[in-house]
Amino acid sequence: MTSPTAIKRFSRLDRVFHLGLMLTFLIQAVTGFSRLFITTAWGKSLSNLFGGYDNSFLIHQRVGLVMIIGFILHIIYLFTKINWKNLRGSIFGPDSLVPNLQDARNLGRRILWFFGIGSAPKLDRWAYWEKFDYWAVFWGLPLLAVTGLMLMYPVATSRILPGWMLNVAGLLHEAEAILAVTYIFIIHFFIGHLRPLSFPMNEAMFAGSVALEEVMEEKPAWVERLKADGQLEPVIVAPPAVWYRVIYYIFGYSALALGVYLLINGIVYSRYIRVH
Amino acid sequence: MTDTNGMNRHLLRISAVILLGLLLLAEVAAAQEELASAIRRYKEREVSTGYYEEYEVTPRRLRPLVGVPGVSRGIFPYSPSAEKVRVRTHLADSHQGLKFYEELRCDYCHIKETKDIHTVRANISCRQCHGGEPIASLDHYYSPMNPIRKHAYVCAKCHEGASASFASYIIHEPPPGAPATQKSFPALYYAYWLMLVLLLATLGFFIPHSLLVGLRELFGRKGKGGK
Repeated sequence: MTSPTAIKRFSRLDRVFHLGLMLTFLIQAVTGFSRLFITTAWGKSLSNLFGGYDNSFLIHQRVGLVMIIGFILHIIYLFTKINWKNLRGSIFGPDSLVPNLQDARNLGRRILWFFGIGSAPKLDRWAYWEKFDYWAVFWGLPLLAVTGLMLMYPVATSRILPGWMLNVAGLLHEAEAILAVTYIFIIHFFIGHLRPLSFPMNEAMFAGSVALEEVMEEKPAWVERLKADGQLEPVIVAPPAVWYRVIYYIFGYSALALGVYLLINGIVYSRYIRVH
Repeated sequence: MTDTNGMNRHLLRISAVILLGLLLLAEVAAAQEELASAIRRYKEREVSTGYYEEYEVTPRRLRPLVGVPGVSRGIFPYSPSAEKVRVRTHLADSHQGLKFYEELRCDYCHIKETKDIHTVRANISCRQCHGGEPIASLDHYYSPMNPIRKHAYVCAKCHEGASASFASYIIHEPPPGAPATQKSFPALYYAYWLMLVLLLATLGFFIPHSLLVGLRELFGRKGKGGK
């Protein structure tokens, strides 16, 4: 019998979606930056990694289509997860990522706790910042997809919309991409790797499970709810194998290093380009 | 004689029937071609050939929401002596009267126009779109850059199938956040400020939030270690 040390947090499919998003996002960030910074030496060297400006742009377009397909699959997946017999509970319940009033209360209490006023809020399965992460991608990806498709097929777009909408689409695509890149490379990576509770790495999204002790510390309401429902035992799982941990540590830190590299160079070279 | 009268009566009746019958036919659509660019059924033809029937007419609904203050766009007087021609954007030679013009380069005066996507990323030179000397003003009636034919004469050189709508893309985009852009290109202006506020609000909240999380958790760990 395995020792009850970890609690299951993400399904295999959840992790596959995250891994796919990670890979495509990083490719889009590099190829997108290579296009944005093409007038600088750094931008040229980035695009050379993919075979020059044109190839880099082509890869950006194709990977963008893969992201769109992934997003559509994710929507279908969401529909399969909805409990249609208990629609309200399924959408607004504690296992759902839909924000609710409790999130606002938790945010308020947590801000007070930052300054030593009161105790930390007892969080349930999804904290408010985790919900923000999810929904930021959820609305950001369609915006990038629609504007990206408009820019990919400008002549066809101009038959439906006025051509000057392409100017607006270009601006929105760039601005949303910069927002996504800065948020992921600063906030998401800090929360995932550098905050004391996660350091050196929050393994949940790769292992699929979290140490029970860790959950008890930050999300006690989740454990209490599972205990009350008598569901704690079924979700307790064995921790991941060592070889698997080594692989995802290398992968996670490579992504972190790439993100920091892109961010620092992006800031350094931003003075030499016209963002839009 | 009687036969002749009878034939005439028949002829009258037949003529009356034909003439009355003509009233039932559709009216002659005399002004149809003037609507060519604005109605849907000519749209595909416009996209494929760049011509609106045999006439070139101002694209109406698809004009960009961009204007030069003090200059009304979309008015193309036929007479060279018309008042609008005095505006530099309507001259046959847009650089007419400039001193030492032969010694100048485009980017001496149009430096901002050399820093957009077409020039910087696609390495397109000014002459590839604006043509050789004399460079006609954008709104001069015979200019290839005139919005009535720009899509066919300029854009379609690279963007096959470019329509008048496509040509309303602003090549030399104004700075999106500048106050003047609010009037000249409001959609771009508001999109820029919306995204900037969103970026600043997101980072402005989450960077301090993350730092405070880090600090608080650090204090918590230190506290535990000291016990």
